[in-house]
Amino acid sequence: MDNMKLPKEKVGDFLAKLGKEKFRVPREIGGRSEFAPPNGESNVDFSLPNTTVPLKSLFYPQTETLYRFEVGDTVPKTSVVAEEMIIMGVRPCDARALTIVDKLFSWDPEDPYYLAKREKATLIGLACQEPRVNCFCTSLGGGPASTEGLDILMTDLGDSYLFQVLTEKGEKICQEAGDILVKSEDNDVQAAEKAHNDAASKIVRGIEADSIPEKLPQLWESDIWKKTADPCLGCGTCTFLCPTCHCFDIQDEIEGIEGRRYRVWDSCMFTEYTLHTSGHNPRPTGRERTRNRINHKYSYYVEKFEVIACVGCGRCINLCPVNIDILNILSQVKEAL
Amino acid sequence: MADLEKLITVAKETVSRDDVKHLIGWRQGTYGFRVSPHFITEPEEADKLIFSPLCNSNLVNYLTWVEKLPVPRGQEADTRKVALMVKGCDSRAVVQLLIEQGIKREDVIVIGCPCEGVIDLAKAEEMFPNVLEQVEARWDGEKIVFKLPDGEKAVPREDVLADKCLRCRYPNPVLSDVLLGDEVKTEGNDDYADVDGMEEKTTKERWAFWEEQFSSCIRCYSCRNVCPMCYCEDCILDRLNPTWINRSNNISENTAFHLARAFHLAGRCIECGECERVCPVNIPIMTLNRKLTKEVREKFDYDPGTDPDSKPLQASYLPNDQENFIL
Amino acid sequence: MSEQFEPNVVAFLCNWCTYAGADLAGTSRMHYEPNVNIIRVMCSGRVNPLFVVNALQQGADSVLVSGCHPGDCHYMEGNYYARRRFTLMKELLDYVGVDPQRFHMSWVSASEGNKWKDVVGEVVKETKEVGSFEQFQRDKINW
Repeated sequence: MDNMKLPKEKVGDFLAKLGKEKFRVPREIGGRSEFAPPNGESNVDFSLPNTTVPLKSLFYPQTETLYRFEVGDTVPKTSVVAEEMIIMGVRPCDARALTIVDKLFSWDPEDPYYLAKREKATLIGLACQEPRVNCFCTSLGGGPASTEGLDILMTDLGDSYLFQVLTEKGEKICQEAGDILVKSEDNDVQAAEKAHNDAASKIVRGIEADSIPEKLPQLWESDIWKKTADPCLGCGTCTFLCPTCHCFDIQDEIEGIEGRRYRVWDSCMFTEYTLHTSGHNPRPTGRERTRNRINHKYSYYVEKFEVIACVGCGRCINLCPVNIDILNILSQVKEAL
Repeated sequence: MADLEKLITVAKETVSRDDVKHLIGWRQGTYGFRVSPHFITEPEEADKLIFSPLCNSNLVNYLTWVEKLPVPRGQEADTRKVALMVKGCDSRAVVQLLIEQGIKREDVIVIGCPCEGVIDLAKAEEMFPNVLEQVEARWDGEKIVFKLPDGEKAVPREDVLADKCLRCRYPNPVLSDVLLGDEVKTEGNDDYADVDGMEEKTTKERWAFWEEQFSSCIRCYSCRNVCPMCYCEDCILDRLNPTWINRSNNISENTAFHLARAFHLAGRCIECGECERVCPVNIPIMTLNRKLTKEVREKFDYDPGTDPDSKPLQASYLPNDQENFIL
Repeated sequence: MSEQFEPNVVAFLCNWCTYAGADLAGTSRMHYEPNVNIIRVMCSGRVNPLFVVNALQQGADSVLVSGCHPGDCHYMEGNYYARRRFTLMKELLDYVGVDPQRFHMSWVSASEGNKWKDVVGEVVKETKEVGSFEQFQRDKINW
């Protein structure tokens, strides 16, 4: 399909035409930004930096009911809730993260809760033009205009957005939008490509990551882990807000005769994450937990799914209260051998 | 202002002692305005220590955030002292821990750093975004001077200092074994304007505000973990039997969590502001804590973490404590 | 016609004074509002402030904590600690936007059946003014 263009003043019409309730756009709520249904008027601020809470929260919410039950039930009431979503303004790194997490949730056995939501969602990406200091997506196979996982890639051309349609889902959106979208001109693609290249050149941090997966197993007993973990507070910021972290805990809640079983984000950086009933903890200190976090992303996941479970969005670096910097750890790993 | 040369000499001497396990200070972070806690066991590592307006974290938390492994049979537990650098506000945490007998005085060596205020990272990074090179900073009267890649920039202290520093009442350590440099002048006056502002709103408006804040909480518990006063070995938030607060993230459990967290600090919070600094979703946690601090001051005339000989507020009472709300 | 709102008041009563006072009110066949659900604890000093929060979460419209008069505690000083604790808790609840009418504390001795009746009357009246509690009740969460 040909490339299309959405004039900026028509964003509101675009949302209305396709059904506002279906949209999820970046929004600032309280002190955080996340993808949420658009608010009131059609003002969507796509210039916000990458959201604090990554895209995963739409597909794999922090708290998600798996099934409900009542005293006397023999069969739990399972409900897979999935509504149609058009997510607009997704950063390429977050979209790429979803393709990585997909591998896990569609592994054996498949996760119906996650996959149902994935199937019903259309992702309209927005090419990054102002990468932040801790962005290192280009080191991990992505980029400010990476198309992996997206249905449409949007590029800001000043007074309009260029729509590069990538999949059938994306085509469907463009057809539904009808004449709100205009045909793009010849030089628009060139302008977009220039913007993409400019953005890529603005990425200042990075690491050559290919050799890390094979090095990590040899550094099991290295003192890197102790040194890195010394200041670690054991909070869940780096993992909860990581677009590829996907660990969860399963809990029950019972009120009266009704109850539900739900899953809730868990973090391998919590002390109690690996705590056994006996009181034994196989990862008793920060050293083992930090080692696990890095190994899971850069070694175990690679072994299983042949992709590094990190997209270089920089959230863990930005938000760590004690400056535990994954790029710094990785460069120590590289230097160690 | 703290004397850097003296700091390094003191640090080297201290870590060389046999009865010292390690020294905790600050070092330059990996980029920009960041600093990182620095754990020193060898004298040569002391050269990296810094003390500047960038040192905004409170290291006292590491006195109690110790994960002890079981001691193997035939070996003895490590009971060596820990040395750490403290600013004025941080030193109150040490005092409060002593009041509560959370630590023993002889187990810590306190290196006091008189402090003229530390930066609020968000303010600094907004002023100078995307700085990759390590930034150095120093105090210069009413200004903070940053050494940026494109030269030195002086910024008025009100524009870049953390809110807690602008109203600081304890710039000099309340307690220390070694004091680095001369004491600085105390001029801070805390009028609790932020708390008053919140109190002036109607009950409905207050709930609307806190509902939005509590809803955005992701329950990463960094506020709990960073808090020097949160050191229970078995926290109610981790308990499953009984479950005080469910793990699910919703307004009910989040509110319960925030009320529990704030209340557990009633009469104990030393206002270092760490909880608010580390919050990834910018919940104004100190506005909640400071309400209690204000009440504690007004109703019980108590300032936590200032007098090592005082008794913990909630573990003591006066027969004539006010009770005008009681039926 | 809509049914009149009948509040659900959870009351934590100390075993030695208020519980006995409530008992006295009962045995004296005094009439008082039936909205109060009593939970007997050994001392008002045993009431964890989280009990109040959890009660509100689990469907209470207001909470009452009641114990012996100052100086009369069976354990000498439990109610003094409770007093400090709930002075602060009351402020905190109010500060986050929970109506102050939803938390009460009282001193009722074993001989004060009459006072118990009045306290319950007052608490129920105030709770009726602010209506049903919905702010962070678990039931209101959409599972």
